[in-house]
Amino acid sequence: MLTLLHEWLIAPFDYGFMRRALIASFALSLAAPPMGVFLVLRGMSLIGDAMAHAILPGVALGFLVAGFSLPMMSLGGILSGLLVAVLAGSVSQMSGQREDAAMASFFLISLAAGVMIISLGGSSVDLTHVLFGSILAVNSTSLLLIAAISSLIVITLAVIFRALVVECLDPLFLRGQGVRGSLAHGVFLGLVVLNLTAGFQTLGTLMAVGLMMLPATAARFWSKRLEGLIAVAIGIALVASTGGLLLSYHFNIPSGPAIILLAGVGYVFSALFGSQHSLLRRLRRHAAPLGAPEPH
Amino acid sequence: MATQTARLRLCDLQLAQGSRTVLEHINGEFRDGAITALIGANGTGKSTLIQGIMGMLKPIAGRVECSVPKERRAWLPQQLALDLTFPMSVEELVMTGSWPSHGALKGYCAAHYRKGREIMSRLGISHLAHRPLGELSGGQRQRALIGRTLMQEAELLLLDEPFANVDSETVEVLMTVLRDMARDGATIIVVLHDMEQLSRLASEAIVLAGGHARWAPVESFLQQPIADSPAPFLTHAISGVGSC
Repeated sequence: MLTLLHEWLIAPFDYGFMRRALIASFALSLAAPPMGVFLVLRGMSLIGDAMAHAILPGVALGFLVAGFSLPMMSLGGILSGLLVAVLAGSVSQMSGQREDAAMASFFLISLAAGVMIISLGGSSVDLTHVLFGSILAVNSTSLLLIAAISSLIVITLAVIFRALVVECLDPLFLRGQGVRGSLAHGVFLGLVVLNLTAGFQTLGTLMAVGLMMLPATAARFWSKRLEGLIAVAIGIALVASTGGLLLSYHFNIPSGPAIILLAGVGYVFSALFGSQHSLLRRLRRHAAPLGAPEPH
Repeated sequence: MATQTARLRLCDLQLAQGSRTVLEHINGEFRDGAITALIGANGTGKSTLIQGIMGMLKPIAGRVECSVPKERRAWLPQQLALDLTFPMSVEELVMTGSWPSHGALKGYCAAHYRKGREIMSRLGISHLAHRPLGELSGGQRQRALIGRTLMQEAELLLLDEPFANVDSETVEVLMTVLRDMARDGATIIVVLHDMEQLSRLASEAIVLAGGHARWAPVESFLQQPIADSPAPFLTHAISGVGSC
């Protein structure tokens, strides 16, 4: 039994590439879910998805210029992600079109452009790698880059945390202090783009957003507190990444979908059996009698 | 300690919404420690003036001179932008009042929590400390929001109809707290429609009409018989503005 467990859970990590992939996905699991929690709270759950498409043309151009080089592809991704965010913002400000409509238009253009660029320069295998990720691709340089970006995200998030909370909770309070909420918002969107570029190596551009959103949406079924939401989301992301990598190794399936599908299982489980607002809770709904002490 | 100094002055202020001038040639000052009621019919520019004072609306001409630091200014609009689904408890909401002066990174110490608890007990919401915002009644929510301004140690407080849709017990509690804040030197500006509340709370009043503002002591209004409905009274007050 122990041998079997060892063979399934520990032995795969004897390989260097699996260890690197594990550490990379741990770094992402710490950085991505808090962003997802804020996106959900701001009612911007789909913006992450839009951004994931927006980084694709840049990643593809980086790939075309420098081959499978993570730094170049990341740089391209960051630039095109930021460009799309700024373009969508300006178009909506200048034309009065809603920002989500402008964003949708630009991410569709980006997706098409990205796929076109990769098809021009590479094979369908390359396209699959860029879109859905490959754990084999994480070398030491990539790992360093992923860890650096994740650290930067966590630190920046800590710095803008209060401004972000107040901006979500009560934008007028922040404006009353003379703080421009749009600054915190802009930095936050920048972090989303950074996070997605850090994630595409293991998860792929299309799947990277999954590690951001699914743990965050699942956490809503477990906690009523912001700190709780973030902690639960990170926990789910860590379990999903480890499990996904193992599944990917044992069954020879792409790592991105494996990790995200596991996070998806976590979401469905939480929606059914979570301690807050889950289906089970709704079925067993009861209220404390009047005069009972406040639950802490 | 009420003083005769004024840290908020309006100098020939002109404010516009889009291309439409709403208020012009507004001159006057708000004494420290005074509670000034802002009265006027709908669309006369009460909210515009508040936005101008808070610096959210740039004047077309003239200026707002305010020596109260930004972190000590608070505004409670009538249409709250507060997201009630946000996972936050009453205590946490009250504590956010200390963020502007406390900075982005520093944690709270025991003194902060003690102050937060004192404020909640003053407002009679200690028992709600851990309740999520979404489960509060209108009155409880208003008490929590005033708690935030107390935590902020607000020295300039602008309130847009703070007693609308609020139970009478909450009105009493809030009035006491506001009078205490004024006694400590805070400048308070409050939009009110209810003349009975105005007479009990405000020491001065500004009547807005026809794009102009007229300062008047509250007593001058109260010499008029207070009607059941404020409308005839307001009509009388506003009729004096035309001569400005």
